[in-house]
Amino acid sequence: MADTYDAIVVGSGISGGWAAKELTEHGLKTIVLEAGRPIDPAVDYVEHVMPYQKRYRGMGDRNRLERYQPIQTQCGACDEYAGKFFVNDLDNPYSTPEGKPFSWIRGRQVGGKSIMWGRCVFRWSDLDYEANAREGVGVDWPIRYKDMAPWWSYVEKFVGVQGRREGLAHLPDGEFMQPWPLNAAEQKARDVLLTKFNGERLVTNMRLAVITENHLGRQKCHLCGNCYRGCVTLSYFSSLNSTLPAARKTGNLTLRPFSVVHSVIYDPKTKKASGVRVVDGNTKEMFEVKAKVIFLCAAALESTRILLNSLSPEFPTGLGNSSGELGHNLMDHIMGGGATGELPWAKDRMEVGRRPDAIYVPRFRNVKSKHPDFQRGYGFEGRAERAGWERGSSMPGFGASFKKSLIGDLGPWEMTFDGFGEMLPRHENYISIDPHLVDAWGIPALHINCKYSENELKMQDDMVVTATEMLEAMGAKNIRTFKENNAPGLVIHETGTARMGRDPKTSVVNSHNQVWDAPNVFMTDGACMASNANQNPSITYMAMTARAVNYAVGQMKRREL
Amino acid sequence: MRRREAVQFLGAALALPFIPRNAEKAIKLAEEIHRRLGDVPFRTLNPDQQKLVTAIAEMIIPETDTPGATSVKVPQFIDLILTEWASDDERNAFLAGLKDIDVQSVAMGSPRFLDLAELKRGEFLTGLDAKRPQKEGAALAFERIKTLTIYGYFTSEPVQANVLKTQMFFNGYDGNVPFTPRV
Repeated sequence: MADTYDAIVVGSGISGGWAAKELTEHGLKTIVLEAGRPIDPAVDYVEHVMPYQKRYRGMGDRNRLERYQPIQTQCGACDEYAGKFFVNDLDNPYSTPEGKPFSWIRGRQVGGKSIMWGRCVFRWSDLDYEANAREGVGVDWPIRYKDMAPWWSYVEKFVGVQGRREGLAHLPDGEFMQPWPLNAAEQKARDVLLTKFNGERLVTNMRLAVITENHLGRQKCHLCGNCYRGCVTLSYFSSLNSTLPAARKTGNLTLRPFSVVHSVIYDPKTKKASGVRVVDGNTKEMFEVKAKVIFLCAAALESTRILLNSLSPEFPTGLGNSSGELGHNLMDHIMGGGATGELPWAKDRMEVGRRPDAIYVPRFRNVKSKHPDFQRGYGFEGRAERAGWERGSSMPGFGASFKKSLIGDLGPWEMTFDGFGEMLPRHENYISIDPHLVDAWGIPALHINCKYSENELKMQDDMVVTATEMLEAMGAKNIRTFKENNAPGLVIHETGTARMGRDPKTSVVNSHNQVWDAPNVFMTDGACMASNANQNPSITYMAMTARAVNYAVGQMKRREL
Repeated sequence: MRRREAVQFLGAALALPFIPRNAEKAIKLAEEIHRRLGDVPFRTLNPDQQKLVTAIAEMIIPETDTPGATSVKVPQFIDLILTEWASDDERNAFLAGLKDIDVQSVAMGSPRFLDLAELKRGEFLTGLDAKRPQKEGAALAFERIKTLTIYGYFTSEPVQANVLKTQMFFNGYDGNVPFTPRV
C-alpha cells in the first residue's frame, strides 16, 4: 500500500462517509482509516432475525454484556442482536470524576454509528445559530442558516429524507419525500392539539432518513421496524449503505479497517499537518500515512482525542489547542422527560407495518415568548401505538380468556412524548487526556468531566409538565410521567470540544471547519459544534462535511492548501 | 424468519449487489442456530420444581385452539433464563419463592400447590396476581413465571409463525386499518 494520498479521512461513519464520497468524487485519491472491523451486510445485518433465533430471545446475553459492555448496554440498541456494533468497554476505557458519570456510547466498525443511529434528521434555523450571540453564551457561530441551507439540500437529496412540509420558520423544511402517514390515533392527536394550543404544539411526521420510495439504487423501506440492526435493502441511510459505495465507485477510495489513528503529524516547516500516526488494530504496530489534507471524522470525542494526543514542540498541549478551548464546551442533549397516556379514540383502528419512528413535536419554548426558568428549548419524539401481547405482564389475570385477549386484542392506544432538549456549551464541561490510562492499542485515553446544569434540568422538568398538558388536552387516561436521571452522553449526541468560531483566540476551527493551527486539517463531525440546538444533529454534520470538502478542494485547486 | 416470504421478497431485489446470493445462507444459519437451541435440558429446576413451574405456566397460557405454554417449551425457557441469565440473587429469590408457594398452599388445605384442586389453584394464583409486584416470596415467583411465560410464549417460533403470523416485509405503512377485537 502506498503511504501517500491526496486526502486522509479518519473514521467511516456519518461524517467520514460523506468526506470520502465528496473527496473521491472530486478526484482526490483518498484513504479512509477506520479503527474497527469491516462489516459484511450479508452476514452482519440482523434486522430479520426473529427472537426465537436468539438464545435469550432478544433479552441479551446479560453476563456477557455486563462484563464487556457495561457502558454500551446503557443504550437500548446494544442488545442481543446489535451488541456487536458497539465497542468493547474493556478495550476502550475512559475515566470520569467521582460522581460525574458520562455514558460514552461508541461504534467502531466500517459504517461507525451510522449503522445503529436514530435516523431523525432536522435542519437548524437562525433561532439556533444566533442563540449564542443573542444570549452571550460561548462564542458566536460564524455561519448562519443561509450558509448551510444549500448543503442541507445537497445531502438530503442524496440521503433520502421523508418528512412533512410544515412551513415553520424555526424548523425549516427540507428536500422531503412523501412521509408515512400518521396513524389514526396520531392524526386525531394532531387535530386536537392544533385547536387546543393554537398551532403552537404541533404533532408532525418524524423527519427520517428512511426512504419511502426507491432511491438511487436503494429499495424503499419494508417496515420491519428493526433499523438499528442493519438493512439488507439499504432503505435507511448509513455510510455503509450509501456514501461509501458511492466513494468506491470513483476508483479513488482506499478503505483501511483496523486502523486506529493515534495523532496528527505537524510539520513546522510548512506549518501544516503532513499526515497521521496509525496503530494497526491487529498487530498494534505503528505506521504513518501522509496526505495533503486530513479530515477528522472519528466522532466528536475521538477526533478531539486525536488532536489532544498530537503533541509537538510547537503545540505542547495538542494541535489545535492554541486557544486553550480544545476539549472544552462538551455538550450532549438532555432526554428522559415526558409522559405516556391512554388515548380515548381510534379503538377500531390498527397499524399494519412497523414504523421505526413516528412523530415529532417541534420546539415551542422560547420561540415566540420567553420562558422564565430556562434558555433554549426542546422537541418531543413520540408515537401512538397499541402494545398487543406485550401488555400482558402488566395486565391482571391469567388463563384462557387472558390469553385470548393478548392474541385477539391490541390494548389501548398509548401515546408517548419523550423530550430532547438543548444543552448549553460550558467551558467547565471538558475532555482531557488521562495521564494514567491507555486503550488496548496503547493510545492515551480520555478523562471526561461533564455534568448537566440547572438550565437542562429545569428544561427536563418542563418536558414533564408540557407532555402531561398535551395528554390531558387530549383526554388521555392513566397518564404516567417520567423523569430519568441519565448521565450526559446517553443521548449519543455528544458534540463540541473543538468549537467553530470567528477568532483563533477563542475557537478551534474556523467557519470552514479548518483547524486554526493547521489549515489542512478539517474537523467536520460533532466536535466543531459551538452550540447544540435541540435537533438531532447528524444531518448537520453531513452538510458541514460536504461544505468543508467543497471549500478544501477549491483551496487545493488554487494551491492555497 | 418466514422463509418463503423472505426469499420471495429478496428475490425481487435482484438489483442489489450482495443479497440474493447470501440471503439463503443467512437464513440457513439462523435456522441451524435455532435447531441447536431446540432441546435444552433442565439445569436449574429439579423435577418437582419443573412440575410446579410447568403447571403454573400452563395455567397462565393454557392450551386452547392455539398452543399452550408447555407445548412451546416455556418451562425450558424459564430454566434457561434462571441458569444462564439471572443473577445468583435473582435465581435464589425465585427458588425460595417456589418453596413459598408450597408453604402457602398449606393454608389452603394441602401440603403442596400441585395437590390443590384446580379451583383452589386458580384462587391461589389470583391472590398472588393481585399482590404483584413483590420483592420476595410466592408473589415474586408468580410474577417472574408470568412475565417469562408471556414473553417466552409469544417469542417462540410456533406462536410467532402460526398464531401472531409475524411479518417482516410490508409493502407500505397503513395506520388506519379497521380492527375488531377477537375475544
